[in-house]
This record gives sequence, structure tokens and C-alpha cells, in this order.
Amino acid sequence: MALLPNQEISLKALLIPDSEASKFSRKLDFLILPIVVFAIMAAVHIHFMLTAGDWDFWVDWKDRQFWITVSPVVLMIILGAIQAIFWVHFRLPIGATVCGLLLILGEWINRYFGFFLWSHFPMSLIWPATMIAGCMFLDLVLGLTRNHLMVSVFGALGYALLFPAANWFILAPFRLPMELQGSMISVADYIGFHFTRTATPEYLRIIERGTLRTFGGESTIIAAFFAGFLSMILHFMWWNIGSYISNLGWAKTSLKTSMGFHKDDQVTREEGLGGPVEGIMGGPTDPSEAK
Amino acid sequence: MASTTSEVTKKVTEEVTEKKSLFNLNWVIGGSLLVLSIAMAARWYQGWAAWDYGLDSTHIDFQTYWMTLLYVEIAVFSILFIVSNVGLWMTRDRDLPNLDARTEISRYMKLIGMLFVYAFAFVFAGSFFAEQDAAWHQVVVRDTSFTPSHIIEFYGMFPMFICLGFASYIYAITRLPLFAKNVSIPLIIAVIGPMMVLPNVGYNEWGHAFWLMEEYFTVPLHYGFVFFGWSIMALGGILVQIMSRISVLMPTAFHLKADA
Repeated sequence: MALLPNQEISLKALLIPDSEASKFSRKLDFLILPIVVFAIMAAVHIHFMLTAGDWDFWVDWKDRQFWITVSPVVLMIILGAIQAIFWVHFRLPIGATVCGLLLILGEWINRYFGFFLWSHFPMSLIWPATMIAGCMFLDLVLGLTRNHLMVSVFGALGYALLFPAANWFILAPFRLPMELQGSMISVADYIGFHFTRTATPEYLRIIERGTLRTFGGESTIIAAFFAGFLSMILHFMWWNIGSYISNLGWAKTSLKTSMGFHKDDQVTREEGLGGPVEGIMGGPTDPSEAK
Repeated sequence: MASTTSEVTKKVTEEVTEKKSLFNLNWVIGGSLLVLSIAMAARWYQGWAAWDYGLDSTHIDFQTYWMTLLYVEIAVFSILFIVSNVGLWMTRDRDLPNLDARTEISRYMKLIGMLFVYAFAFVFAGSFFAEQDAAWHQVVVRDTSFTPSHIIEFYGMFPMFICLGFASYIYAITRLPLFAKNVSIPLIIAVIGPMMVLPNVGYNEWGHAFWLMEEYFTVPLHYGFVFFGWSIMALGGILVQIMSRISVLMPTAFHLKADA
């Protein structure tokens, strides 16, 4: 979409050193960037805490099957959409990384002030998993290929495979086997038994299911590939949803007459819209612009 | 909107005719500090009164230390919501078609400032106190819907950001020409979406009362919070609309002209 003449003049004016326009623009940046940070942090965190949630809260829930499958897959829902918004509208291949960073920031703040200081759970039980490595890979593939289909196929797979790998180092000590009252459990299980939670049923159980309970092995790899498969599908779906929703513009209103406008006055393209004017709900007028 | 500065070839000069600042950042800083203070005070109060007085809703101390707070919150935020929005509507600009460019930019800056404080408040509601609710409920099985974590989160933080968001919306439609002429869909989503989280609390507590006293956090009963939590990202869409408009107004407001 071409710039309006006034917009071209404004862009050029930003290059005039010490001008009111450039100072104003800088002040605007310092307001806009925190808004974006706050919005993404809150949205990604509330999304992840209520979809992956407990698998991320507790070390004994960080098992070899559901944790590896659930965590990256549910996060991909919001990652795909935000990555699409950053790329389609701003050509910035940083959407996923921004999400991963802000998510871990929000989680750490909460684990410390909420779970540790308030509810007195030990940090060894409640440390959050890191998604940053996978998110960076997702953005890397987008930056290199500039094609969201490549990201859905290769980026999403790598993102899911990197999840257990990136968390392996911090998780490994908790996977060590130990014997308790004649049964073989892990260190993570032992910590979990000492801090019973309302999600723990009346009988103390091992969170993990499966016929062969190993302390590593192929179940991790199988779960990671399954997570990759699901992530591919979800990334494609939510990239397209994010692209569409971020193109919604304007709708009609009858309140304008209270502010001095005529009932037929409408917003026009010449007034510098950020979205399409056609139709009630908008949507891209030029399909190529959605990608 | 794809664009490139390589297409801009004309030289531009700025005639400095006015020195008055377009916007006072002190309001944003003050508003943010107020939100931070309220959140810190709430967190401190939870640390002090939750374990000692908040475990048994039938105890008289619970009524004193927690239900009193709930009643105060309901009263304060209800009054604030009504007063702020009615006040903004009654003082609306009735001559928006004749608004000059500099004033319009100044009002856009005020709106961005309000959205800043709104987004900051939503961080506490949607991130900090939300996950902290899990920290409480994984230790204590609820006996009523009014718990120390809920009283702060659902009936304190949620109404706070709802007041801020709705005030931003009323300000936009009563002081800014574009937002008055048409409904900005990102603005509606960014304000009404998070607002719907509060009615969703009703559904959530209904589900807890009838089926699940306490459970893990990722039950489908909580998915309504996820859905409405997504809508805060529409703030980005509002910013795009605002930036697009400001870039059109800047030449007039800052007396920029393209040299031949």
C-alpha cells in the first residue's frame, strides 16, 4: 500500500536532526514499545499458564510424554499469530523470540513472588521451562526463508525438538533415580511428594503414565516428534488466523452525530488508515498483502 | 502497510513556530506509578493477611480482613467507572470536524498514554496476580468463591483495568475524529475483550461450585480466560491506526513543507 503524500513528508522530516518532529517521534517510541511489551507479555503468559499451566509449574510434572507434547504445542497457538503480525505488517522476524522472552520474564516474576515467597514452594519444584531456544529457531527460519510455509514445516518441527533439548540441562538432576520405601522414583517425584498440592489426588501417584517408565530414552524423542507434528499444523493455522485478524479495520457507528459529524461521514483512506475501509469487518483488499 | 523511504526524494524543512509541548509524560508516569502502588500494596496485603485470616471464610477475621476489602473494591470501582465515563461523555467535543491538527495529535498522545497505563494494569491482572492464583489454590482448597487471591485478582485488578480501558474507549470516541466517525475494531476488541473476563469469572466460579472444587490450572473451564486474554493484543492494531493518522497530521502540525 503506497504512502500518502503527507506520510512521505513526515518520514523525511524524521531525518532532520533536533527537529520537533524527530523529538516527538522518539517520545512516541518510548510510549509505544512498552505498550507492545506489556500487551504481549500479559497475553502470552495468561495463555500459557491456562493451557500448559501445571506442566510448567511443577518439576514432577515435567515428564517425558505430556510435558514435552503439551508445552510447545499450546504455546504455538499464540506464537504463530504474533509471529504473523510482526512479519506481515512490519517485516520483523522477532515475533516468536519476543514471546519467548516475555513469557519467561512473567513466569519468573510470578514463580518468585507468588509460588516461592507467598506459598513457600521451593524453587527446585517450581522453576519454569525455557521456550527461548525454540522460539529463536522459529524466527531464524522465518528470517532466512522469508516464507511462512517453510516456517510451518521446518521451523515448527525444530521449535518442538529444541524444547526438551534446551531444558535438558536444568532438568537432568531431577531425573536421577532413587529408591523410596522399596520403590524406584525420581528426585523430582521425591520433591513432589513433600509438597502435596490440590492437584495431587488422594493417593500419591506418579504423574507420568506409560508401560515402560524410563529415566530418558526413546519416549522423550517420540514425544518431541509428535509435538513437532502438531506444532506444524498449529503454526500454519494460527499464522493465517493472526494475519486475518490483524487486518480488521473499521465498522459503522451512529454515535458520531453526538460529536458534530453527519451520519454519512466515514473514515477515508486519505485520512491515513491503518486498516482496510471496505466492508463492515474489513479484511485485506489485496490478498498478497496478507502474506 | 509496506513502504520504503527510498521513494521519498523531496527535501523537507520544518518551520518552528510553536514551542508548546504536545504532551505531558508526567500523567503517564503518575498513572503507572499509581497502578504499581496499588499492585504492590495488594501483594503486601496478601502476604500479611492471607495465611492468617484468609483460610476460613466462616471465621469472623475473614469477614473483617477480606470481605470488607471486597465491598470497598466493588464500591470504589463501580463509582469510578460511572463517574469517569459519564464525565468523559458529558465533556465530549461536539465540534470534532473542525479540530486542528496539533490538537488532534496532542489528543492521540493522551490516548496512547491512557493505553500505556491500561496495558500496564493488564500485566498485573493477566500475568502477575493470575498465576499467583494458582499458587494459592494449589495449597488451599476453596470453600467459597471469595478467596484472598480472588478478591485481589478478580475484584480488584480486573475492575481496575476495565475502568482504564473503558475510559480510553470513551475518550477516543469523544475526542478523536476517526474514532468518532467509525468504530475501530481493534479498539473494541482491546477494550471489550478483556472486559469480558469479568463475566467469565461468573462462569468459572459456577463450574468450580458445581463440579470442581480444586483442580489443576489447565482445565477447559479456564479456557474463557485464555480467549479473552488474547484480545489485549489488539492494542497493537490501535497503535497502527493511530500511527497512520499521526503521520498524515504531522506536516500540518509541525509546519513541515516539501521543498520543490
